[in-house]
Amino acid sequence: MTLGILGEILVILSFAAAIASFGGYLYVAKTLDYEKEKWFSRLYTSTIFFLVAASGILIYLLATHQFQYYYVYNYTSTDLAFRYLISAYYGGQEGSFMLWILISAVVGVGLIKWTDKEYRPMVMAVMAGTQMFLLSMIAGIPIGDGVTLGASPFRTLVEAMPDVPIFQTNPNFIPADGKGLNDLLKSPWMMIHPPILFVGFSMMTVPYAFAMAALWTRKYNEWIKPAFPWVLGANLCLLTAIFLGGYWAYVTLSFGGYWAWDPVENASLVPWLIGVAGIHMMLIQRKHNSAQRSAIFLALLSYVAIVYETFLTRSGILGDASVHSFVDLGLYNQLVLFMAVMVLGGVALYIYRYKDLPRNEKEFSVLSKEWWIFWGATMVGILGLVIIVGTSSPILGKLFQANPTPPEISFYNNWSLPLAVIIAIMTVMGQFLWWKKINDSEQLASELLKPIVLTAVATLATVIIGEVRNIPYMLVIFAGYFAVFGNGFIFFSIVKKKPKATGGTVTHFGFGLLLVGIIASSAYNSYMLDEQTKAYNAAVKAGNITDENGVQVMDEVDMIRIEKGTPTVVNDKFRITYNGFHIDDKNRPGEQIYNITIMNLDSGSGVDLNPVVYPMLQSSSMDHINWAVDPDVYTGMFYDLYLYVAGSKYVNDKNAELQRARTQGMSTSNIALQDETDPHAGHDHANTDEIDQTLGFTKGDSKTIKEFTLTFEDFVQVAEEEKPANTFVAVKARFKVENAETNQTEYVEPMFAVVEENGERVRHAHSAYIESFDLTIRFSNVVPMSDQIEIQVYQGDQQVGGTANQTQIGQQEPDWVLLIAEKKPFVSVVWLGTFMIMAGFSIAIYRRWAEEKQREQRLKSA
Amino acid sequence: MKPKVIVGVLAIVGFTSLLMYNFGNSISAYTTFETATEIEGNVHVVGKWVKEKPSGFSDKSMQFSFFMEDESGNMMRVMYPKPKPNNFDQATQLVVIGKMKNGVFYANDMLMKCPSKYNDANMADFEPAEHNT
Repeated sequence: MTLGILGEILVILSFAAAIASFGGYLYVAKTLDYEKEKWFSRLYTSTIFFLVAASGILIYLLATHQFQYYYVYNYTSTDLAFRYLISAYYGGQEGSFMLWILISAVVGVGLIKWTDKEYRPMVMAVMAGTQMFLLSMIAGIPIGDGVTLGASPFRTLVEAMPDVPIFQTNPNFIPADGKGLNDLLKSPWMMIHPPILFVGFSMMTVPYAFAMAALWTRKYNEWIKPAFPWVLGANLCLLTAIFLGGYWAYVTLSFGGYWAWDPVENASLVPWLIGVAGIHMMLIQRKHNSAQRSAIFLALLSYVAIVYETFLTRSGILGDASVHSFVDLGLYNQLVLFMAVMVLGGVALYIYRYKDLPRNEKEFSVLSKEWWIFWGATMVGILGLVIIVGTSSPILGKLFQANPTPPEISFYNNWSLPLAVIIAIMTVMGQFLWWKKINDSEQLASELLKPIVLTAVATLATVIIGEVRNIPYMLVIFAGYFAVFGNGFIFFSIVKKKPKATGGTVTHFGFGLLLVGIIASSAYNSYMLDEQTKAYNAAVKAGNITDENGVQVMDEVDMIRIEKGTPTVVNDKFRITYNGFHIDDKNRPGEQIYNITIMNLDSGSGVDLNPVVYPMLQSSSMDHINWAVDPDVYTGMFYDLYLYVAGSKYVNDKNAELQRARTQGMSTSNIALQDETDPHAGHDHANTDEIDQTLGFTKGDSKTIKEFTLTFEDFVQVAEEEKPANTFVAVKARFKVENAETNQTEYVEPMFAVVEENGERVRHAHSAYIESFDLTIRFSNVVPMSDQIEIQVYQGDQQVGGTANQTQIGQQEPDWVLLIAEKKPFVSVVWLGTFMIMAGFSIAIYRRWAEEKQREQRLKSA
Repeated sequence: MKPKVIVGVLAIVGFTSLLMYNFGNSISAYTTFETATEIEGNVHVVGKWVKEKPSGFSDKSMQFSFFMEDESGNMMRVMYPKPKPNNFDQATQLVVIGKMKNGVFYANDMLMKCPSKYNDANMADFEPAEHNT
């Protein structure tokens, strides 16, 4: 019994327990046989123990590098830092499902304890039912003909890939190392993002469960109270997860933003929006005893949105549309089934009870808080709908095109900004009507006067200082400020009397800030360019530039080329200096850390930024080094400076070195990491960060370096005894070296060999030392298909001589970098707005928790 | 029917139509160079990099230029205003997004489909070829 098999058994046991408790709870819901309910609760609770054990096994397998398991092989490697071995537990689909299920099980056990017995059977039936579906995704039970139900995280390599030839000959083959984790994911942000996301998903199941229970038991009001804190909690977690993802994208990826409307991003935003809409409807139901239908509808919809988005991102249907869509595990049909059951189950019950649902015939007057909250929440729901439409382009797009692409980004922006404006304004109206006693429209107008005036002033100031000329943007800025000031006024009026009730106000305040920040940082983002590039771009725009092939250049340039030692002024206000780079193998092998200083010429203050370029060894190969970049960001109050290295002399040289080695069929494995070392030389000249200065010779060539004249006379055969072991080919080159100062002539014959090592061909460059001159000649290369050779010359320990290829002796191309530098105004406001929204949610959750505690106290003492 | 209900239904119908119309306009198809010449606005063209033809990044014009063959067999020059993207050489398929002008495709974005590492294994995965120390 291997650990993997034990793990699979535990998962299957959980699956069986979930199925049994699902059926059991349904039975209890129908018959109200609460005696039997205890057993089903025990069954449900047992899944926690199975899942904890299974998770422990998986983490153990990962930590001990057991590469015979597909999951371990795919997502880890022997050199992976320990913390990433642990987080690899949820790095792949199978594991992340397991984490989600585990968290959900804990939530369910909490519900068993806290839910009133009337709702409990149906609530738990739903919880068990969702567990059942999720567990089916990782059960890995074979159902004949090579098909399995779900993909088990414990399946072995042989089981996952039976057709790979190596398993035919050696079924017990275990790879020495795994594929490793994608470098981009090696980040603390990416470590905490998934668990928080799954806590959010798990919590969002609860309102759905309560809504179903309310429909089933026909008790349409009592469910709001217990379900409400769960929606708040779910939304807080989803928002945190969204923020972490956005921040990670901003500092790790090179697209320079925090939001790209990518399907995976939308997958967590839409349920959040629907959750927000649901929260507001539930508030109306509590205060005003109406909107029951909307509250139930949205509670059902929030979880359906989660399942739908899970389907979109995990089924493979988005394959080409998203750069980070997850691996297709063949779960398509199961995910469709899950979705169908959740949707149809909810719809069926809803329609069944539709006539029974209370309808508050009293209309909301336009001057009532209910009206604004109801329609405001509806707007939020519509925003969610728009985003779902865009994200579903692989499906919906088929109505328009045979092979649809994702929508242009402008689609999302054109809809979300106007909706956001409307929503921002409505938050203020809603808050004023909620907290202040307002009888008619004149009173409302007079209350709103002060915030409106402040908003107008702030907007005007921003428009003038920020040189905003775009009218839609002005509207968004106005709406944002209005939300800030309007909610701000309300906050100050209630914070002394009822501080715990300020949750909503603070959230709306944050939303206003977020809007202003988004416009500032996205619309007024600018590339920092020097005068030369700006002039070039102007010429491109005028249509005057063609490239070497005579093709007209249409695109403007966003990059600047900075030479070491030549500071460049950009945007008339900043001076960028390239100070050089150094190689640091500690973090990643072959990583170059570049040092760039950006100085603000007005204020005299400068920042040092250290963007990084590193070879992604996991995806590099023998023909090609895959270079990845790590941007560096300066976070300031008024603007961020965002910088990454788009190209450098070092990278160019490395690529050229690899190409040279490739054409000779030589080993290229270490080029990305370091220069070759010569194991046989008396002097070891391995330089890790100096560029090779190689001299090329054909037979008869003479070159002069300082006082020496070197002539390559001829090739010399190598005697058998002199050849190193496993030599493929070996040759010597006879050089005549004349010293003009001393009039001495010496001859040397350094050797060059190609040797077979571990099935690969490796170059061995040998050196010959002339003691009287203190000169070393290292025979580093033979250019194939030619009679050219390459040598390196050292005087003492110093390399002397010219550079590679055709440049003259003694001349060196200065070190340079290509930079993409962006100035992003007020990103800080975006983060501040987000944190305020989180704070608002936290205050609201705290308030409900405190109320619940008080209620329990009163019940105890009664 | 109550007038409110009629207004409501009209509003919903109107909104949905506008949304779908706008949505339909904002998506395009994965298509060929030929269609790109006919369509206004951004087009997504799917194809493969033609290795045999010259390609490279020009320091002077700061453009990466290469040749691509689309699914109907047409080969065109593509210009991309950034340095050669990371996974370019190994991509099994390319999607270039941009416009066709004067017989040259000007891409403002490029997606690379890399050889799938997670689905059925390639022989290469198990060859001890990579000595990445």
